[in-house]
Amino acid sequence: MRAPDIRRCKVSSGFTSSGLTSAGLRSAGLRSFGLSTIIWLSVIFGAAPAVALDFPALTGRVVDAADVIEPAAEAAIVAKLAAHETASSDQVVVATLPSLEGEGLEDFANRLFRSWQLGQAGENNGVLLLVAVNDRKIRIEVGYGLEGILTDALSRLVIENSMVPAFRAGDYGRGVDAGVTDILSILSGDAAGVEDRARRLLDTPPSGLEEALNTLFVALVFLIFFLSFLFAILAPLFGEKIGKNTYRWLGVTMTAGQSSGSADSGRSGWSPESSGGGFSGGGGSSGGGGASGGW
Amino acid sequence: MRRLLLPIFALVSLLALTGCGVNAIPTHEESAKAAWGEVLNQYKRRADLIPNLVETVKGFAAQEKDVLTSVVEARAKATQVTLPDDILSNPEAFKVFQENQAALSGALARLLAVVEAYPDLKSNQNFLALQSQLEGTENRIAVARRDYIEAVRVYNTELRTIPGRWWASLLYPDAAAMETFAIDLQSRENPTVKFN
Repeated sequence: MRAPDIRRCKVSSGFTSSGLTSAGLRSAGLRSFGLSTIIWLSVIFGAAPAVALDFPALTGRVVDAADVIEPAAEAAIVAKLAAHETASSDQVVVATLPSLEGEGLEDFANRLFRSWQLGQAGENNGVLLLVAVNDRKIRIEVGYGLEGILTDALSRLVIENSMVPAFRAGDYGRGVDAGVTDILSILSGDAAGVEDRARRLLDTPPSGLEEALNTLFVALVFLIFFLSFLFAILAPLFGEKIGKNTYRWLGVTMTAGQSSGSADSGRSGWSPESSGGGFSGGGGSSGGGGASGGW
Repeated sequence: MRRLLLPIFALVSLLALTGCGVNAIPTHEESAKAAWGEVLNQYKRRADLIPNLVETVKGFAAQEKDVLTSVVEARAKATQVTLPDDILSNPEAFKVFQENQAALSGALARLLAVVEAYPDLKSNQNFLALQSQLEGTENRIAVARRDYIEAVRVYNTELRTIPGRWWASLLYPDAAAMETFAIDLQSRENPTVKFN
């Protein structure tokens, strides 16, 4: 959200500075152009941070990058997670990695959670169950909105009691399944909370595409309003007078002091568009809640 | 009619300017302040957990008086200091705050190391819950500090680069660069374990 904003400002500053210098010192125009190009390039390429370990793509509710969960077990886990999301809007996602490649478990889990934006925007009801297989580490990262239900102590218990024994036996599929089952039963144990979250999701219109379209629509209406207002004022100033209170400017004839006929506005309601098929994060965030463990 | 021209031109150029960062400094300043609020919130949460933790440890390991006292004292020192309003742009006050919190972190780490010698305590349910809460809070502090560092980086960069620099001198002469967390040499060293 922040980054493009800054870049836009930098870009416009590039315009301003090169415009100023070429106006003042025309001979230095070429050099300033070269300079601003360098600034541009450094802005564009410098913006991408160097990350040692890339985030895996969020391909589904189970991202088994380490390939340790059998397909059958994975399908069962995905079904459970999908059913829970339908009931409560909570997004619980499992990720396995071969190795952390020296990254800190907690730090990486939090950044991955934020990059995937698990949980619904505003609710922040996401949970990430991260397993680093070669590091023998497990992390349950809990979004802001679920910290009160899936507390640090409970997350720790899930790891120690349900997951670690199966992981020690080398059965990752069973361990992850047991962990997921526990997490879901804790989350749905708070029945009133589940209902609340699901209801709020229904009440608030889904964000994303619809929100963007609404913003665009409002912006368009404002733009039209503003431009017509501006035109009505500027036409008498810059336009050519062709009659009483009638002016022609930029090829448009305008009569001042006459209320324009109400235009027929073909407004159509936006029908909420459900995202089909693919799975993506709902825009939630996490502040480092949850617990870590190892086996 | 022609008198209207100037105000209209001013209005239009003002609208154009908002697209180019005239609001960037206050916006970034507010988000940095919000991130700082979260840092304070998490440090307070840690301070609130400590009395319970100390009481629980006392029940099993009352003889570890030195360590327990140092934790209580470090907590008192960290919480009793009233933070000045300008702490974010005041390097001395910020340093004192950071040192006090680092001292408390050190005392807590010693306490949790000492606890390893008491199997009864380690298996106590109350202690386990407190320990996981404390770990969670330390992790939240780390996240809050990271967010604060990033927010301050964005704000300070805006303040020191063009056009933010121009806006600051023109419209926000009071805007000052904010302090950020630095790891001092002492805590950069790995903790040493001694067997005697």
